[in-house]
Amino acid sequence: MIVVKNLNKAYGKKDNLFLALKDVSFEIPDGSTLAIIGKSGSGKSTLMHIMSGLDHPSGGSVVIDDQELHAMKSRAMDNFRAKQMSFIFQSFFVEANQTCYQNVMLPLEIAKVPRRHRKDMVLKALKAVELEDKVYNLASNLSGGQKQRLAIARAIVNKPKLIFADEPTGNLDSTTGDLIMSLLFGLNKKLGCTLVIVTHDEELASKCLTQIRLKDGSIERMSKTKESRKK
Amino acid sequence: MYYTDILRRSSRSLKSAKARTLLTALAIAVGTFALTMTLAASNGAQSYVNKIISDNFDPAELIVAKDQTVFQSGDRTKPKEYDSSFVSSVSNAGATTQTKRLNDEDLAKIKSQPDIEQIRLGTSVNLRYITRSGQKKYVGTAQGFSPAQNPQILAGKIPKPLNNKNILLPEAYVSALGFSSPNDAIGKSVTLVVSRPFSESTVRSLAQNGTLDSSKKIESAFDTATLEQQFIIVGIMKKPMSSQPGTELYMFIGVEDAQVLNDYATLGTADYHKYAFVYARVKDGNDNNKLLAAKKTLQSAEYFVNSVEDTQKFLTQIISVLRGIVVAFGMIAIIASVFGIVNTMYISVLQRTSEIGLMKALGMRKRDIGKLFRFEAAWIGFLGGIIGSLSALAVGTALNPWITEKLDLGVGNKLLIFRALQIIILIIILMIVAILAGLLPARKAAKLDPIEALRTE
Repeated sequence: MIVVKNLNKAYGKKDNLFLALKDVSFEIPDGSTLAIIGKSGSGKSTLMHIMSGLDHPSGGSVVIDDQELHAMKSRAMDNFRAKQMSFIFQSFFVEANQTCYQNVMLPLEIAKVPRRHRKDMVLKALKAVELEDKVYNLASNLSGGQKQRLAIARAIVNKPKLIFADEPTGNLDSTTGDLIMSLLFGLNKKLGCTLVIVTHDEELASKCLTQIRLKDGSIERMSKTKESRKK
Repeated sequence: MYYTDILRRSSRSLKSAKARTLLTALAIAVGTFALTMTLAASNGAQSYVNKIISDNFDPAELIVAKDQTVFQSGDRTKPKEYDSSFVSSVSNAGATTQTKRLNDEDLAKIKSQPDIEQIRLGTSVNLRYITRSGQKKYVGTAQGFSPAQNPQILAGKIPKPLNNKNILLPEAYVSALGFSSPNDAIGKSVTLVVSRPFSESTVRSLAQNGTLDSSKKIESAFDTATLEQQFIIVGIMKKPMSSQPGTELYMFIGVEDAQVLNDYATLGTADYHKYAFVYARVKDGNDNNKLLAAKKTLQSAEYFVNSVEDTQKFLTQIISVLRGIVVAFGMIAIIASVFGIVNTMYISVLQRTSEIGLMKALGMRKRDIGKLFRFEAAWIGFLGGIIGSLSALAVGTALNPWITEKLDLGVGNKLLIFRALQIIILIIILMIVAILAGLLPARKAAKLDPIEALRTE
């Protein structure tokens, strides 16, 4: 369970004070999907950064599985992110000069997963995104869709509880984007991880169990699907 | 992250920018090349000096003199008070110097020291000439043979002790004196001739006889004041691999025989029975403590004393100074290359900003990010070290025979001696220097804000 409570984020001081988030609160259950939508500058990326511990709130808290994220010390926070969280970005951020295998290995190295388990985990992750035939190919030789699939394999390899996807289809054509989303939602169901998607795309957002629409840093509207309400 | 993972990842990062890595490493390689060559040349020179010392000196002997300047030390700028023991000598450079000499009284005094086992004179005699029947005359120098000397013998052998008018000749005299081969010379005799300088009374009598009115007559007068001695060749020495420079054509005879010739050649002169230095053999002198004790005793008797080790130190002093100068230049090259590493690492941080952001987002610790970049710098240092030292090794190995020939070092001697341990230490130092150069860029990488970094395309 992720509990976001009275979250505030302010930039600047006194006269130049800008509130990026204003009293944002919500809860999402484990294994759920959440879409954070809104226009540019609405605060959706700031919310994702604070939820993932990359940024600190000016007030309020994020509690994940009864652990208050921002109360953790730096080392514990890094460990938590290495073992429980993962990211997918619009720009993929795959290492072009490294093979698919080496790219997917990165989170396992950071999390200090024992070496004997690594190969198996990497191959399984690549198989899950249907890149098993590209294991030793350089990432630079992949298409945009394949790169994003590679980024997804990297995101799921360590079996995180929480995946943050920042505009995951933003750089893809609609057909590839659909394929990627069906892959992500499929993995969400299969692996039971919580998926938080930051997007402009209303259609993509509508596929998530919970949608939060932000406007000027505040929740303008929060909607849940029937399925979500059942959860 | 495990060290091995960081190490592997840093090497992969360097591979992805091969040209940049190689160029930076080459800058370090230039300094490494200079330093490896310097160390090798220094090793070679040191080894050459050690060989000269071990082939010519007995470590149990002390060199004893009455004048400090014999050992190239002491203050030469102050006037020296006269006493009758001063003798003039002309150096190779032509300068005339006056040095106090030891006399027979001193020899007796030195010999009477309880620690001293034996005294040996380092007599060398300037021959008027050496010849044999029907052959040309050649100038030369005969020296009293020291048992510590170890010349390589081409033919014959060295009798122990060398005395009784036996002589060891350098191979250069074999054909000059008309022998067909070194073996042909063994057992044959040669004539050594020394002349006595004119004393005042001799000049007077020659003048009264009218002998000094033409140069021809003066020449023949010289020939009358000579001592001729026949010596039997017992050994032919190979061109020495290691000898004191200028002594390559020395011929060796027994110490007593040398003394007889020297006495004849110096009788009536200030040099007669005067010795710049003598060798004093210390009882159990191979024990350094006993050698030092004997040295102290002689010093307290107001003699100036050098051990073989002191001589060695003096000879290596100049090598050390030259080595220091070249090492300083090498270090300057390394320091210059440090800026190259700093630049390369900064570029690397800038180019990989998004990668750093991703790694931080995935939970990589600041410390590990810093290590990743420091290890990259260490790899560059390692690569530069390997390229530089291997190039030096290849060039040095190829040039060694040519240098040996040009410098006439003798077969078996090398100017450039490479030592694996020195090269390994040099590479480790370079890696440390590279890590230090990578500290600031690594710190920048570690401190990057992941959110800002992830915004970089």
